[in-house]
Amino acid sequence: MATINLVDLKKSYGNVPAVKGVNLSVADGELIVLVGPSGCGKSTLLRMVAGLESVTSGHIEIAGRDVVKAEPAERDIAMVFQNYALYPHMTVRGNLEYGLKNRGTPRTEIDRRVNEAADILEIGQLLDRKPRQLSGGQRQRVAMGRAIVREPAAFLFDEPLSNLDAKLRVQMRVEIRKLQRRLKTTSLYVTHDQLEAMTLADRLVVMNGGLVEQIGTPTEVYDHPATLFVAGFIGSPPMNLIPTSALGTDGANGLPAGTDIVGVRPDALLIQRPEGPCIALEATADLLEPIGGESHLHVKLEGSGQAIILSVPGRPDIAESAHLTIYARPSELHPFSSQTGRRTDTVAKS
Amino acid sequence: MVENRPWLSFITHLVLIVGVVIVVFPVYLAFVASTHGSGDFLRGLVPLLPGPYLIENYGRMLTEGISTAGAPPLWIMLSNSLIIAIIIAVGKIVISLLSAYAIVFFKFPLRMVAFWIIFITLMLPVEVRIIPTFAVVANLGLLNSYVGLTLPLIASATATFLFRQFFLTIPDELMEAARVDGAGPMKFFRDILLPLSRTNIAALFVILFIYGWVQYLWPLLVTTESRYYTVVMGIKRLAATADTEPLWHLVMASVILAMLPPVLVVIFMQRLFVKGLVETEK
Amino acid sequence: MQTKRTIFPNKLLPYVLLAPQLAVTLIFFIWPAAQAVKSSFEREDPFGFRTTFIWFENYTRLFSEPGYVNSLGKTAIFAVSVTLLSMSLSLLLAVAVNRVLKTNRVYTTLLVWPYAVAPVVVGILWWFMFNPTIGIGPYMLRGLGIDWNHRIDGTQAMILVVMAASWKQISYNFLFFVAGLQSVPQSLTEAAAIDGAGPFKRFWTIVFPLLSPTTFFLLIVNINYAMFDTFGLIDATTNGGPNQATNILVYKVYADGFLGLNIGSSAAQSVVLMLIVIVLTAIQFRYVERRVQY
Repeated sequence: MATINLVDLKKSYGNVPAVKGVNLSVADGELIVLVGPSGCGKSTLLRMVAGLESVTSGHIEIAGRDVVKAEPAERDIAMVFQNYALYPHMTVRGNLEYGLKNRGTPRTEIDRRVNEAADILEIGQLLDRKPRQLSGGQRQRVAMGRAIVREPAAFLFDEPLSNLDAKLRVQMRVEIRKLQRRLKTTSLYVTHDQLEAMTLADRLVVMNGGLVEQIGTPTEVYDHPATLFVAGFIGSPPMNLIPTSALGTDGANGLPAGTDIVGVRPDALLIQRPEGPCIALEATADLLEPIGGESHLHVKLEGSGQAIILSVPGRPDIAESAHLTIYARPSELHPFSSQTGRRTDTVAKS
Repeated sequence: MVENRPWLSFITHLVLIVGVVIVVFPVYLAFVASTHGSGDFLRGLVPLLPGPYLIENYGRMLTEGISTAGAPPLWIMLSNSLIIAIIIAVGKIVISLLSAYAIVFFKFPLRMVAFWIIFITLMLPVEVRIIPTFAVVANLGLLNSYVGLTLPLIASATATFLFRQFFLTIPDELMEAARVDGAGPMKFFRDILLPLSRTNIAALFVILFIYGWVQYLWPLLVTTESRYYTVVMGIKRLAATADTEPLWHLVMASVILAMLPPVLVVIFMQRLFVKGLVETEK
Repeated sequence: MQTKRTIFPNKLLPYVLLAPQLAVTLIFFIWPAAQAVKSSFEREDPFGFRTTFIWFENYTRLFSEPGYVNSLGKTAIFAVSVTLLSMSLSLLLAVAVNRVLKTNRVYTTLLVWPYAVAPVVVGILWWFMFNPTIGIGPYMLRGLGIDWNHRIDGTQAMILVVMAASWKQISYNFLFFVAGLQSVPQSLTEAAAIDGAGPFKRFWTIVFPLLSPTTFFLLIVNINYAMFDTFGLIDATTNGGPNQATNILVYKVYADGFLGLNIGSSAAQSVVLMLIVIVLTAIQFRYVERRVQY
């Protein structure tokens, strides 16, 4: 049980900055997901917390203790790696025990913890096998087990699901979430998959270019993206980012000063006029992609030619090149400034 | 590929059989010679079929040797060869494992310098620096000792490079996981790296054992006392009995005994041998 | 040069780990080599009291010495003959083994073991076979009207050491050719077969060109072998004779240094040999570079 505090944490390789000053407080028992495109610094950040990368400047506190200079083993953390990093020459039991043995844990305690972890993860029957005899999902469980038996202050997950196939990934995601709720261990979880991030996180940390773009609950981040980057990164299909010039004078009315881009989620754009105030845009249909319960409608705004995606329920009968009017409620518009890259209204918190 | 050309298959096997005959014949001849008595070599042609003196000849060489040629009993030379080959193989493997480990898993000043110093040993086989190397060993008082016979030969660039290549293929995460699990550098080396290197170590051992066994020039230089003779150099002494015709049957018994251990290693550990040979040359 | 993404932070440990290897290398390799280079530029007076720095005199004397020039020539003949003979035999055998399916393990086992035979033992085996009085070689040659005595005839002595040295190297070349042949994709030969190429044409137009990296590699290794690993073989068969006909460089450097005790000349010979190894190694590694990043 522990908190993690990162204070102005920086990392550069030579002159190339990878992490440019990150502040983050992780509450006890919280699962924080670091998400961002590859090269955004999220993995480096996690590896600094683990002690696998040296820190250029700043502080890392785990359970109130400054660990910047501490060896990984002294930080009371456990880590789950992308490729599982199971010791290939040891049995599953050997893998689970190794960290405990190194710490001089008494035999009875080791056995108790290994059996308990094996029960939780349902890998009891695999204990005497070698990693190469296991399936991807089973290896994933063993990797989790190796973290659990340690009963550490914090779990660190480095893209633990990205080597699994799509179906197994969803299943393991649910299990990780349930497990973390049950154990209530403070966790940092790195992923590039925004859907995984949204479903797992107590709070999200969206990173880009070595900086934190936004920290918030999944709902906050989705509903009020703080920056243009977050707006484009979180959500699938991504938020439409439309220059105000393409909205016409009617649509641009009443936006905060300095706004030159408006974001609107595909599902907030409607093809039927809703009740109450709304803006209307003229468009030409490009392509309709039915994806089951809903459809993605690709259109181009008339005049500007701006491409836009709508997420519409069911399978509307719209012919290609048909003209149509699309609507959005003013409350669904997210105003941004392309100069600062930030939101221009004050709702956003960070 | 399905291809039916009987004459081609015939030629193929013919080529192979001729090849095997060429390879085996000299040794067959030596074996046959080693089973005859001394009188059988006076008739102007070596015998081509085995004779009755197998046990007698081998027994005599193993237990007595030929004192007139200054050759001690073969069992002494064979055990010297065995000891030396094992020390050389193990020594090379140990120091190469350690240096490859340092080069791959640590960063430190002069790392490249160390790498190049090791690399240079490839370019300095003992044959090209005999006299000064001999002088060093003599000055250190290492003539006529197992240390003198082995130590100067145990630096190994090839083994170091092989282990370095292998270590580079071990996923970074494995070492990171071990560190998170509380393993320091030596613990990681012992618990993870060594067990994973098992096959490579075994393959290399086969090659280096042979290397150590067949050494000739170096033992020839640094040993003058017969109790340190190795079998390979001892045989030469037997064969080179100046003006008289050598005692062929006894020389050939020694030849067979000297060949046997490394040849058996190759035959029975062929898979490891091939792996070792091909990998060290990469 | 590559290391791991994360490394251990210890400052002293890597030096401790490297110490044994570096100590052996410095004491028994670098230092003697440096000594050889140094004495190659010096002359020692007959009593060993004084050494004089004489620049390249040892070298100029060496290269004007007929015995040394002869040795250079013999070495070249020997190395080229061994390389060609051994490699062509091995390639033939490797191609044949690659064609047979069931019995290839047996053939391979029967062909590879000479690798483990010491060069000096190889020398003794062939010396025995071609012994002018009792050897089976001379006996059969007499039937053909050839009088074999490599103790007198320099050409015959050279032929003998070339045969012996090639015999030992067959196993090594064979294994590498087999490995090379196995890495030629089957689909290529199949495509050529569909295009109507017969087995011989397929070999020369498809397989042999694709083997060229292996061939080139073996070329260097064999030259290296013939020049430096055959000391024992020469020592056991001909002692460099008759009349220096098989006195190759490594044998001469030993004979001049240990038996003749000419330090300056022997040192200069050592340095020349080192330069040859350096060139061969450099060529080999330039080529190997593609496979291995150092």
